[in-house]
Amino acid sequence: MTFYSPVITNAAEVAGSDKLHLFRYVEDANQTKIETYESHGGYGTWRKVLTTKKPDDVIAEVKASGLRGRGGAGFPTGMKWGFIPKDSPKPRYLVCNADESEPGTCKDRVIMERDPHAMIEGMAIAAYAIGCHLMFVYIRGEFGHCIETVDKALQEAYAKGHLGKNVYGSGYDLDMIVHSGGGAYICGEETALLNSLEGEKGMSRIRPPFPAIEGLYACPTIVNNVETLTTVRHIMERGAQWYRTMGTEKSPGSKIFSVSGHVKRPGNYEVELGFSLKKLIYDPQYGNGILGDKKLKGVIPGGASTPFLTPDQINVGLDFESMTSVGSMLGSGAVIVFHEDTCIVWAILKLIHFFRHESCGKCTPCREGTGWLEQIIRRIEHGGGKPGDIEKIEDICGNILGRTICPLGDAAVMPIQSAVKHWRDEWQYHIDHGKCLVPTRFEFV
Amino acid sequence: MSTSTTTQPAVKMVTLTINDQSVTVPKGTTVLQAALGAGIHIPTFCWHPKLKSVGACRICYVEIEKMPKLQVSCATEATDGMVVKTESDIVKRGRKAVLEFILANHPLDCPTCDKGGECDLQNLTFAHGLDDSRFDFLKRRHIVPGVPSTFDDLRIGPEIMLNRNRCILCYKCVRSNKEAFGEYDIGAFERGNAMEINAAPGEQVANPFSGNLVEICPVGALTNSDWRYKIRVWLTQTTPSIDIFNSSGSNILFYKEDHKNRIFRTISRRNDEIDDGWITDVARYGYQLVHSPDRLQKPLMKKGSKQVPVEWEEAVAFVARRLAEIDDTKGCVCIGGLASPTLDLDSLHSFSKFMRKVIGTNNLDFRIDYRSLPEKPDSAFSTLSSQPFTIAEIDTSDVIFVFGSDLVKEHPNEYLRIRKARNFGRPLVYSVNSFNVKSADVADREFIYAPGTEEVFINGLCLAAIEENPGLSGADGLKRKISPADLNSAAKTCGVSAEDLKALARTLINGKKISFIVGDQVSLSRDREVIAAALCNLNRLVGITSRGQMAALARYADSIGAEKLGLIPNPHPDVKRALTDLWGGFPEMAGYHTEGMFSQMLKGELDAMVILGANPVAMYPDHEAVAETFEKLDFLVVADLFETETTAMADVVLPLASWTEFAGRYVNLEGRIQKAERAIKPLYESKPAYAILADIAAAARKPLFSSAREREEEIEKVLACTTVRPWPGDYLDVRPPAIDKDPAYPIMLIIGDDPHHRCYVTEKAASLVKFCSDAYIELSPELAEKFKVEDGDAVRVESKYGKLMAPVKVSRVLEGDVVFLPRNFSVTRANSLVSRKARIDWVRINKVSG
Repeated sequence: MTFYSPVITNAAEVAGSDKLHLFRYVEDANQTKIETYESHGGYGTWRKVLTTKKPDDVIAEVKASGLRGRGGAGFPTGMKWGFIPKDSPKPRYLVCNADESEPGTCKDRVIMERDPHAMIEGMAIAAYAIGCHLMFVYIRGEFGHCIETVDKALQEAYAKGHLGKNVYGSGYDLDMIVHSGGGAYICGEETALLNSLEGEKGMSRIRPPFPAIEGLYACPTIVNNVETLTTVRHIMERGAQWYRTMGTEKSPGSKIFSVSGHVKRPGNYEVELGFSLKKLIYDPQYGNGILGDKKLKGVIPGGASTPFLTPDQINVGLDFESMTSVGSMLGSGAVIVFHEDTCIVWAILKLIHFFRHESCGKCTPCREGTGWLEQIIRRIEHGGGKPGDIEKIEDICGNILGRTICPLGDAAVMPIQSAVKHWRDEWQYHIDHGKCLVPTRFEFV
Repeated sequence: MSTSTTTQPAVKMVTLTINDQSVTVPKGTTVLQAALGAGIHIPTFCWHPKLKSVGACRICYVEIEKMPKLQVSCATEATDGMVVKTESDIVKRGRKAVLEFILANHPLDCPTCDKGGECDLQNLTFAHGLDDSRFDFLKRRHIVPGVPSTFDDLRIGPEIMLNRNRCILCYKCVRSNKEAFGEYDIGAFERGNAMEINAAPGEQVANPFSGNLVEICPVGALTNSDWRYKIRVWLTQTTPSIDIFNSSGSNILFYKEDHKNRIFRTISRRNDEIDDGWITDVARYGYQLVHSPDRLQKPLMKKGSKQVPVEWEEAVAFVARRLAEIDDTKGCVCIGGLASPTLDLDSLHSFSKFMRKVIGTNNLDFRIDYRSLPEKPDSAFSTLSSQPFTIAEIDTSDVIFVFGSDLVKEHPNEYLRIRKARNFGRPLVYSVNSFNVKSADVADREFIYAPGTEEVFINGLCLAAIEENPGLSGADGLKRKISPADLNSAAKTCGVSAEDLKALARTLINGKKISFIVGDQVSLSRDREVIAAALCNLNRLVGITSRGQMAALARYADSIGAEKLGLIPNPHPDVKRALTDLWGGFPEMAGYHTEGMFSQMLKGELDAMVILGANPVAMYPDHEAVAETFEKLDFLVVADLFETETTAMADVVLPLASWTEFAGRYVNLEGRIQKAERAIKPLYESKPAYAILADIAAAARKPLFSSAREREEEIEKVLACTTVRPWPGDYLDVRPPAIDKDPAYPIMLIIGDDPHHRCYVTEKAASLVKFCSDAYIELSPELAEKFKVEDGDAVRVESKYGKLMAPVKVSRVLEGDVVFLPRNFSVTRANSLVSRKARIDWVRINKVSG
């Protein structure tokens, strides 16, 4: 039986649109069944690609579409695929990163739960493009139901001959393995994910060598996000030109945004890139405004690891460039909204607690720094802050930022730095008075 | 990426600028290594020259132009035109920040920490750190439950104590254990700042290389219980020495307390050509036997039925007189001698001269545990064992073939080398043996041939090579000389399929650089001549040595030295000529080797033996027969460190000084002459063997050497001779002898060294005894199930020649009907189970009930 999480989506809007595509069938309870998926044209693209296109054509098409990775960094997908060495005798691997654990992000989960075949089809096309015969999907351990759904979809795809030996009589073999993560945030980072997949401790590897050169079992490996790979299927179905009609010049296409926090209508919404953040929060179709009609205090626009935006900054387009221009990042598209009754110290304590807990412990600044930061912020929150603590926090953040193996260190300190910058007086008040500046503290349920 | 070895033959060079200094290094070098090579210091914690870089500690930051962030130099490859600064303000700030992070939770218990004075963290904090900490919280503490100590020390192995509070999580212990040693008994647990190093669940850190983990720990988190709380490092002196328990001769350093005659510990003295800075636990803790209370303190002489302590003069005069008497009455042919191949060159040469010049006999040998010795000097095995072999060549070999060797027990250094070759290159490694061995974990494939079919396997390999490449020269001539002469029956007999043999032959034919190691299963086999002949044929057929190296590796610290000095009855003709020139003569008689001497003794035709540092009664196959043989002697003089079964039968026992107590030179398996300096003065009244022999010779009024200088010059001249014997000019006959097997004894017994022991002396080293204190029967899980035994249950092992009881250890490696028994323990004499006449030692076992 399929577990169906009650997440709000804008599937109706997507179904009515001739462009948006990812959420078209997610409200259809039968979409996880292969018969339904196939009746919507499912696996037709994979068959067409495999029987009529060359791998290089696929890479060229994806390059032309301008698709950028949806996992957070926004690296051009086609370019990444092009890094696979052409002359290596080693096998190549495709790994779908479904370890969705960035706080606030729950978009991949919806795809896996409600449209798993689209992901599998996208993976198959990507695998063919890079010459891979064995692909993996690494699913976050906590997503037990997703693992079941994807596994069931995989069995169906094998049974129907979409995967396995000699797919569609083309002579191309393609196998897929579903792997369950062990519950570590860091395993969403691609090198830690590869370590974990190999059976090692989930700790990030130093780069270079990049996974495209030496990844899984030291073989060329491409790691892509669920949403990215699912999008590949749609690009190959309708073409790069169509894809470019959405979004902006440098950030084409559409993307799912997970809106959470103090909004009236939290949910997953697929919109074109460049869509207004303000509209996403306030439009009744999407966030429908702030809970209790309070004032907005700040927004984390791209998952817990991106810097805060203040209310005067939210009139901005949700695309990679615009977000950078206001000092934050698009990240994984997790819009977390805080209203005026949020104590920023308390909110940051929750964040740093998470990052301290999830730091893998490999490199010194992140391992020791996140623990130290949590201790300082905890004492400020609990009324024991000392003069100089703000400067100390800033200094420690500076000593972590850009000094670690993987981006977890950066992720941990960037929201802190921005929170200290935007609401410094609130921090100071907390230290001086031992309590919150905000009169009534509203906590998440 | 970060290998320090030069693996590519023609390397592209890159030039970069470090601190305004131009540095040119091979492509692939890291910025750190480039800087270190140019004499520019960059601090490190987690970097180790022999491990892959992980960039964990972040102390090695450098600033590189055009790169926005600080880079870790240990994992950044030097490129052309790179401009690096190692001492800019931003780098210094970065370093300080890392030290502050590390020290935040470090207990700073330096006054009670054994690492104090040689601690990387102390030194780097002194050089680069802040003078105060801004960390004002309680430090993280890993409390050991149930231990009311503020030190939180946890024992994780027989010799290793762990203090997790001090640990800075550089992971060098875990990484080296896994990468360099292939062991998994230590690991990192939990994550983030709760991360801790600990022994694997339910395990002890007791692998044969475990001491290295302590040595490379940059702080006092891992300490040896051997050294803890005994002495501060600044109150010690160091002496360079050699590991004499290993034929590679790893370089070591002894630490001795100032003004006292006591060694406190051993650490490695990295020599990249031999040991890469890794030493075995035997090398590390073996020194303790020197300070064992069981050391012989004074000469002993048998008076009546008891051995009583006497003065040196009395003992020496008595030995000289008795040897002269036997010489007068029965002739010098009735005197023989054995010297241990772990003695230094001076002692070995003195022994040779003493036997040949002073006594005039040619009955002498250094091979103390071989079953069968060649009758002819130009035997196939002599050829095989005299071939040159270079340890460092393993690094760059593309095919590594280990034949009949349990490497971890026999040649641990070479095992580590092969591991390294695997980590940093892509060689094809094959392990071929008659039983499963631990070292096969570095092999691409492990092949098991049927017991006693070494030569059939090699014949099969030759035949497979001919099938793969019929153009190989002399193929027909070879086929006439070997049996079986067709591939399929050879494959059937040795139990390795024809397909596998062909695949192996292909790699041998196609390999560009081959290292072919032949181990104890050949060297100690009764039929080693036949096996060696087969190996000579293989080399002739596919030309291994023209593309690499192939040798039966020497087993003891100075085996090659003994060989080169001619310590066998029939030395290499060049050596014989040199000795004749030096001494103006050479004994006319042919002389007997070890086995020959024993049969002469049994016949009553050899009456006196001089034994230096050897214990044949306990180590030579067939305990009872050897003991009976020795009882027939008229006169036995033994010099040793301890009382042994052999000294118990002696008329005179002389206390021998250990290798730590005098300066000596040793020749390792590569033929490299290395010196072990004197670390301490001889303990008690012990003397080096060369001094004992000089005393006896002087007492006989036939002085050995006029001076130490003369002795050294003689050694120089003899060592200058080559002892490499040429490969045979034609294919040799290889007719496999029949393997006798009695169905009543279905299990193959393997006797060898425990990984933590060597020969019969290391059971006197307290730390090594902690790893393994008594013999055990290591058996495969199948056998354990069959006999319903578990770890610790007693079993009786019986062969046709003897029986003994020992506790069971269920193996993680062995499979099938094979048991292993260590030979290192005086209580359980492994040699009582085996016979010199058998090719395979067959036994049966039963569980001892109750």
